Amino acid sequence: MSSTTDTPAPDVSATTGTSEARRPRRLSMSDGALQTLLLFGFLVVIAAYFTSQNSNFLTTRNGLNILINVGVIGIVSLGQLLALISGGFDLSVGGIVPLGAVSFALLVNAGYSVPTALLVVVLLGAASGVVNGVLIAKARINPLIATLGTLSVTGGLALTLADGVQVPFADVSAGVLTRRSLFDINNHVWIFLGLALLMFAVLRYTSYGRQLYAVGGNKQAARLAGIRVDLVTVSVYVISGALAALAGAVLASQLLTGSGTAGTNSGLQSITAVILGGASLSGGVGGVPGTVIGVLILGALSNGMAILTVPSFYQTMATGAVLLLAVGLSQYRSARRSAS
Amino acid sequence: MQGQAAALSVDGLTKQYGRQRVLEGVSFSLGHGEVAALLGENGAGKSTLAKLLAGAISPDAGTIAVQGREVSLTSPRAAIQHGISFMPQELIYVPRLTVAENICLGRVPGRLGTTSPQAIRRRAQEEARAFSLDLPLDRDMDTLPLAQQQQVEILKALARRSRILLLDEPTAALSSHDSDQLLTLTGTLATRGVAILYISHRLDEVFRACDTVHVLRNGRLVQSAPVEDTSPREVIEQMLGRPPEEVDFTAEDRPATRPVLELTAWSRERTPVLRDVSLTVGAGEIVGLYGVRGSGAETVAEALGGLHDDVSGSTVVDGRQLKRISGPIAARRAGIAYVPADRKSQGLVLVMPVVSSLSLAVLRTLTKLGVLRRRRESALAARLAEQVRLRARSLKQPVGELSGGNQQKVLVGSRLAAKPTVLVLQEPTRGVDVGARLELHRLLRALADEGTGQLLVTSDIEEAVGLSDRLLIVRDGQIVHRIARPTLASQSEALQAAGGHQ
Repeated sequence: MSSTTDTPAPDVSATTGTSEARRPRRLSMSDGALQTLLLFGFLVVIAAYFTSQNSNFLTTRNGLNILINVGVIGIVSLGQLLALISGGFDLSVGGIVPLGAVSFALLVNAGYSVPTALLVVVLLGAASGVVNGVLIAKARINPLIATLGTLSVTGGLALTLADGVQVPFADVSAGVLTRRSLFDINNHVWIFLGLALLMFAVLRYTSYGRQLYAVGGNKQAARLAGIRVDLVTVSVYVISGALAALAGAVLASQLLTGSGTAGTNSGLQSITAVILGGASLSGGVGGVPGTVIGVLILGALSNGMAILTVPSFYQTMATGAVLLLAVGLSQYRSARRSAS
Repeated sequence: MQGQAAALSVDGLTKQYGRQRVLEGVSFSLGHGEVAALLGENGAGKSTLAKLLAGAISPDAGTIAVQGREVSLTSPRAAIQHGISFMPQELIYVPRLTVAENICLGRVPGRLGTTSPQAIRRRAQEEARAFSLDLPLDRDMDTLPLAQQQQVEILKALARRSRILLLDEPTAALSSHDSDQLLTLTGTLATRGVAILYISHRLDEVFRACDTVHVLRNGRLVQSAPVEDTSPREVIEQMLGRPPEEVDFTAEDRPATRPVLELTAWSRERTPVLRDVSLTVGAGEIVGLYGVRGSGAETVAEALGGLHDDVSGSTVVDGRQLKRISGPIAARRAGIAYVPADRKSQGLVLVMPVVSSLSLAVLRTLTKLGVLRRRRESALAARLAEQVRLRARSLKQPVGELSGGNQQKVLVGSRLAAKPTVLVLQEPTRGVDVGARLELHRLLRALADEGTGQLLVTSDIEEAVGLSDRLLIVRDGQIVHRIARPTLASQSEALQAAGGHQ
């Protein structure tokens, strides 16, 4: 065998196509799918570790607990995912979540029905998103600066509306958003899963999704291909704002109070989850499966460490370490690939 | 070649990625003051060889010797210390430092780690004067045109006493005038003993400016000869591994056809200005628009693509008068497809698979209530891939992994998806290897034969005369010359008309 492979190929074989045909073969699986699989493996490792430490970790009860706890940040992350795919990000969700929470509580206390209040809250979030989108797409302000500005404005507005205090619900029926229903699973978990499924379909099977990836991958090329780049960009922040406000309402419902200080760190948390899930700050890549797993990893970490009674500030450090590890690994992979 | 040791010699250089040998037993030497061309199609191993010599990667076997002494180039720094400087196609410089500062980067004048702007400027001035280059030393690097940036980079290499220069397609993005200047500079360097390895796709330059040619094919060195002993035709044959096909695509006499694009009195105030540009493209006709950088030829193409809405004048496409081409969407609606000059920054989303790239410009026709019809999309992509003779492992492969030629085919294919009346092509074969260039030219000619009118805006003179049915020469924003049926012999006529620089 060795003697035949070592014989130099005769020159006649060199048709125009050979240079391409000879490129190294890789796994036939797409890069995104491979990354998601690796990420899932990571989640399994974390779960296995916690289970080995405490058998209470791997129970249906605790699994549901994790889902209940990640519902709010999960909903925010789905919107954040869009922002990251488009090549930007949305810090303002850290202000829109409390704004949604406080206004939901105020509206319900003022006698509006839960669906009406929810609609108003979501529209409010969408309106904040319009501001973000216009600042970024039309005024060409860097997403960091633009959403940092609206983060302060919306966060401040939430505190103002709450008048510096919490707004407890007058009627506990407002807790309906997080109540258990179908299969004994909480409503907001269903909302999260439903939205994730919807977003998955939108990104993968609609022209909007395709346009979004194009805009994030190369704005100029997208524009020349006839895509309304500005419109797509604005839409991303509108969706992100609306989802963040919805998440705020869920949070209020969960805590039975609208607080101007709860959920203020959801900007960085959701970015962490989405990046963990394979998205990139340079845009054009990322997906729902990765994001959901990223959210679950964060949830499993904090849950597992809580079970092991690790103080919460260590959890924050662990989250940071996991993020750096995951991103470092993916950088290493892509650097090795581009070297060849 | 002479008694003293060669500036650079490599022996049996081999590099392997996984099981694939990208470079196999390459040996050659480069004398002092020699300008050697390194030729080969994309994927032949040119950039791997350059990276080895630049210290970016290490060989699996073989040796590299500088001035007769074997060296181990383990890092770019080591290569520089041995006097080898590599100038990649995409220059690496510090945009917000001045030209003088960039020249002195890496070898800052001064004592004990201290320096001064005056000392830096003085040193830079000495270097520039030594090669009689006139550079705006105080301007920020990123405000310079590419041609001058290259000169700065070359000076930077010389300032750190490099004796061996590796230039990777330095003229790929230059106008012919700027290319000539660069070649004059390399000539000057050579007379002072600098050895130059010159990677290029442009054979005319190679035969004008180089002493030796080395041809790589599939990782092996298949030809090394002094330029006097070979010919462009032989070199192409060596690169391809087979005789080249006839390159002349000039169409046979065709009857005048109905015009599909008529521009009348196009003018633009802002630079690059346009002055009273009028032209007509008939159905099935390829009209060339040739001009050096900044002449205004590019502006015509870009405006047709919807990138400049400040052009006045009348535009008629397929008999319909257009109000104004306000943007890319308006251009496409009018039936114009625009292939931009820079496929990487303007044309393609490199992370996207081939399928999605081919369908990107016509997504609307592939959706029902916003939902993509994937089967239709695949069918469209498969058809286009075949039409442009795309070579890819799979249509799911990201475009960024393809060779330059195949990327360009994807870009052209994506524009054909809309079945345009007029195709506006800007530098359609820039940075593309000989084989792919030939195929692209054949494709464009075939499209013309099917009736697509084309406006070919190019700064590549061979392409301009070889592909156009009619050639218009643009200079200072106006059409200064028209050549009815260009032949290869029209080159000097076109160059002369286009020349004229301040």
